[in-house]
Amino acid sequence: MFTARNFTINGQKYDVAIEDGETLLDVLRDRLHLTGTKKGCDSGDCGACTVLIDGEPLNSCLLLASTVDGRSITTIEGLAQNGELTPLQKSFVAEGGLQCGYCTPGMVLSATALLERNPDPSTEEIKDALAGNLCRCTGYTGIMRSVERCKNYLEGGQCAKPHETASPAEHSGVGASIPRIDAADKVTGRALYTADISLPNMAHGKILGSSIAHGLLKRIDVSKAKALPGVLAVLTGADVTDTKYGVSPARYDEDVLAKDKVRHIGDPVAAVAAVDEKTAERALKLIEVEYERLPVLTDAMEAIKEGAPLIHEKYKRNICTSVDYNFGDVDAAFKESHYVREETFTGNNVFQSPLEPHASIAAWNHDGNLTLYTSTQVPPYVQYMMAHVLHIPLGKIRVIRPAVGGGFGTKAATTPLDICSALLSRACGRPVKMVYSREEMFHYGRGRHKQHMKFKLGLDREGRIKAVKSEVYLDGGAYTSFGVATAYYAGSMIPTLYKMPNYRYDGYRVMTNKPACGAMRGHGVPQPRFAFECLLSMAADDLGIDPIEIRRRNAMTPNTMTLNDLDIGSCEFSATLDAVAEKSSWKEKFGKLPKGKGIGIGCGGFVSGAGYCIYRGQVQLSHEKGREQFQKKAIFPHANAVVRVSEDGEAAVLMIGAAEIGQGSDTVLVQMCAESLGIPASHMRMQSADSEVSPLDLGAYSSRVTFMAGHAVSRAGAMVLEKMKPYAAAMLGCAASEVQARDGKMFVHGDASRNVLWAEVARQCFNDDGPLVGTGWYKPPEGLGGDYKGATVGTSPAYSFGSSVCELSVDLETGKVKIEQFTDYHDCGTPINPQGVHGQVEGAIVMGAGETTMEGVEFGEDGHLVNPNLHGYLIMTIKDAPEIFSGVVDSYEPRGPFGAKEIGEGSTLPVLGAVAHAIANATGVWIKDLPITPEKIVNAIRQKKAADAARRERRDEPVTAK
Amino acid sequence: MHISSIEVHKAATLDEASALMGRFAPDVRLLAGGTDVLVDLKTARFSVGHLVALGAIKNLRGVTEEREGLRIGALTTIAELGRSPLIAGAYDALRDATSRMATPQVRNAATVGGNVAGAVPCADLPPILIAMNATALLVSDKGERTVLLEDLVVGPRQTILRDNELLAAVNVPRPPARFGAAYARFGLREANAIAVAGVAVALVLNDDRTVRSARIALCAVAPVPKLVKAASRLLVGRVLDESACAQAAALAMAAAEPIADLRGSAEYRCELVGTLTRRALAAAQQRIGR
Repeated sequence: MFTARNFTINGQKYDVAIEDGETLLDVLRDRLHLTGTKKGCDSGDCGACTVLIDGEPLNSCLLLASTVDGRSITTIEGLAQNGELTPLQKSFVAEGGLQCGYCTPGMVLSATALLERNPDPSTEEIKDALAGNLCRCTGYTGIMRSVERCKNYLEGGQCAKPHETASPAEHSGVGASIPRIDAADKVTGRALYTADISLPNMAHGKILGSSIAHGLLKRIDVSKAKALPGVLAVLTGADVTDTKYGVSPARYDEDVLAKDKVRHIGDPVAAVAAVDEKTAERALKLIEVEYERLPVLTDAMEAIKEGAPLIHEKYKRNICTSVDYNFGDVDAAFKESHYVREETFTGNNVFQSPLEPHASIAAWNHDGNLTLYTSTQVPPYVQYMMAHVLHIPLGKIRVIRPAVGGGFGTKAATTPLDICSALLSRACGRPVKMVYSREEMFHYGRGRHKQHMKFKLGLDREGRIKAVKSEVYLDGGAYTSFGVATAYYAGSMIPTLYKMPNYRYDGYRVMTNKPACGAMRGHGVPQPRFAFECLLSMAADDLGIDPIEIRRRNAMTPNTMTLNDLDIGSCEFSATLDAVAEKSSWKEKFGKLPKGKGIGIGCGGFVSGAGYCIYRGQVQLSHEKGREQFQKKAIFPHANAVVRVSEDGEAAVLMIGAAEIGQGSDTVLVQMCAESLGIPASHMRMQSADSEVSPLDLGAYSSRVTFMAGHAVSRAGAMVLEKMKPYAAAMLGCAASEVQARDGKMFVHGDASRNVLWAEVARQCFNDDGPLVGTGWYKPPEGLGGDYKGATVGTSPAYSFGSSVCELSVDLETGKVKIEQFTDYHDCGTPINPQGVHGQVEGAIVMGAGETTMEGVEFGEDGHLVNPNLHGYLIMTIKDAPEIFSGVVDSYEPRGPFGAKEIGEGSTLPVLGAVAHAIANATGVWIKDLPITPEKIVNAIRQKKAADAARRERRDEPVTAK
Repeated sequence: MHISSIEVHKAATLDEASALMGRFAPDVRLLAGGTDVLVDLKTARFSVGHLVALGAIKNLRGVTEEREGLRIGALTTIAELGRSPLIAGAYDALRDATSRMATPQVRNAATVGGNVAGAVPCADLPPILIAMNATALLVSDKGERTVLLEDLVVGPRQTILRDNELLAAVNVPRPPARFGAAYARFGLREANAIAVAGVAVALVLNDDRTVRSARIALCAVAPVPKLVKAASRLLVGRVLDESACAQAAALAMAAAEPIADLRGSAEYRCELVGTLTRRALAAAQQRIGR
């Protein structure tokens, strides 16, 4: 039943017919196309949908539109006037107050309302006001800076121009902290994410997930769903290809829709397209499914037992991958060690929880070409997998990656939305949009594997590592996904940080009846790194060596081949240890803090791009034909760029398929390309979203973009410059070899006064030679890695290193941890954009600290998810986030573009160990089971007290016996 | 996550709302701030064909000072209550609850009436209101009645309200001299965290610092916001020294009947009740001292 209502939105009157049950959020987005207001959780938990009603922030997802007519509504689109950003919006742009941008409209509106009623808020008041807006990228640090900066401008009465982007005179290329190139779009709500896009005649799809965790599919009846008015297509397993898909070619084990078996709650069973999402949701309820239940396995350690039911017939003992790394002779080395300690640790099933839900829109052209809009980190892998599943050539698939609201690994593979939207679109002949709800995101999963870890460490008298042995069971959920690589990574990266002469790793990737796990930030490594760092700190304590000192004694050095054949180039790990010790006043604090206060150290590092890609054959292959022959070289370039200069020479368009997902890759790539061209970054345009425009880059995973795509774009720029030099030389009257370019001018080497405008030279090139275009590409070096099974995982052209010191307090009665301060130094090579580097570190620290203390998907015995939402699955709010100091040490990586290495994932790795160590330091108890919740802390303290008392009693006994 | 077909009726008066409720019962819910109801409808915790929206009813919103104490209209939002100048001073313990529940956005929408009559066991306002001897004014088109707030809720999401009856206001009697109250809660995050446990305390002391009256009410550890009557009996006439507080805490722990869930085991919640009782007693005492 529709009723006409009138709304006043951003000062404009709107008359719109709505249904009584529609939320304001849906009316804004779907009826008025004001898509700056975001749907993050639809439950009032995340704040992405914040709007101002009569000046006060409210969740538009919790308001029925029919009850707010007549009130004054302000959305993000209503802040900037006539294209002029507000002082607050400018502050967000200038201070790195955003990354993926999905929380940004809500955040900006909450902050606007605060400053409106309180122009001079205290730090606590800012945090209180923003506590209802979750951010997963920035660690809130840039957001705090943004509001503080704006406050200062308001105080000074100069509201008009708190910040302008770098003036043309300023160098904006490599090394400059220029604002993100997408920042203005993101603070104004103009950035388009997949779910914001509407195509003409578009239908909406939903997937029916299994309601049980393990069972045989006995019967599906979709007749009632098909009969529902508005339903356009219904698909079940019987209607779709038998081709299985996944990530690792040898382990494609996922059905598009369940054929005969379901393996976790939410496993896709049927898909529906309808005229709108509400009708599609209703149709799902009309599908009748009959299952024969099978025993449910939710515990990896149960699943590997002999006789346990098999989730996939082909994985014996439910193990899909076993890894056996054995370097040196650990048993002999343990015998020779002065000190040996073995401990067990358990990780948690952390979910990335990006603020933007996964989304896809598929549309088929009449010529049989598919266009897929998708919120992904890896457009080419999606293109490849779609070709595989749809049995069409890769060239018939166009992948468009709109703005992506965070990924962290959960968007690193092809999703059921990608495939089902294409199939439904083909079935109903209309474009089909599909968006996961927050709950469906959890059911899709691909979060961090929960790892059951046993670590053994042998040291000599001085604390130098003699041997390390680990045995790890990775709880992988119902499908392999990235799991093969995860299991290898969990072992391969341990020897990169410290020198170890003997190392053994046994890894098992185990299937359970839970959503599949995948590659989350730091892929496979954070939990073993946490375990190892804890064990090393325990050992330091046992041996009476300072925990930072024991790390120094074992620290990796530059130009070292690790015992597992990883080729470490630049390495300033020791410098990061020295820097954090100094900056955190470690010596004055460690061991000297009162009870309840703690300080801890953790270290870590990561690859700067995987040395080998997931498929290694020719990129044009859309089907895997048997096993690929392994060669120790890249068959095709992993990153490719084209740069085309506009005809007037005033702009250069950079085309590269590198996936901007919030991490800032568009901005650093533009900077590097501008640097090599010799023009200001503001003259660059970026085209990274469309596979039809931009050449292949493998995507945003394994921390590869700055490094690999950086090479491609700077080489493309250099090619253009080489073409321009003869023209410039003619104008300047010098040799081509003498010409240099910087910041929009071309000049004679050694005499900048003899110069000509870059644009003028470019115009001349076009006039004489036609399009001025450069191309560049990057292949990882040949021959990376050793000659043993699994030698490729962990290979990289370069490695990052970092150290973090965490300071916190623990309420010893309730167990509540308040993380107060983080001090972090990284060796990320030479930063391209320092603000971007610090933004990654700040975000990683808050994500990692949350992961250590509060995050984890929990399951019932029947395999249901206990907390598939953002009030049960807790990520840190602005009030939980610590103060953060992020620094970089001097470093230059010769293999990197402009000396750069990675930062995005390596920054996560030190965090878990640092927090755990600080908690142990504050409480006297080590908690080896993540997350370290308040309840675990009070229980451990109680147990320790009881044990200490028992020990005292035992000690007393002989005395009393006398 | 769309709400299936529903009809929203905007009531202009309390009588009209009452009549609508009576007419559509049981296929109807009240809609005030909507922060619980909309989530429940989207997640199909329940499904109804009708909502009676209260937003247009005048005089249900706002905090006023009456002769006997504070009157909080049921449609007053949590944020409005929290920033009302009237709750400064004697009633400032209410702010312990209003400032820490949910998020600023939710507090701008959620109402006192919803938090109280929604009868969700982890609601933050009822325990402190109960400790402060609040009463609830219940109104229907047939008349009105006043009940003690501790008698309003009979189970999780269950109250004594009749089909056509609405909570119109919560009245908090003016505290006597030498009164202090506090609400201590524990959540797993610094903000936007559902209470794992909470303890509200209201004290009146005699001039010799012995306890004239003490009321302790618990949050999130029983099916209803629970008044610990044994603690009141224990504390009367005593000085609030460490041993008295510890005994009160023990009685509060004994009164708690928590469930185990994602946020904590039953044992941990009991332990929290003990700790929070001691802390709330100390904070309430401190407020008297001022």
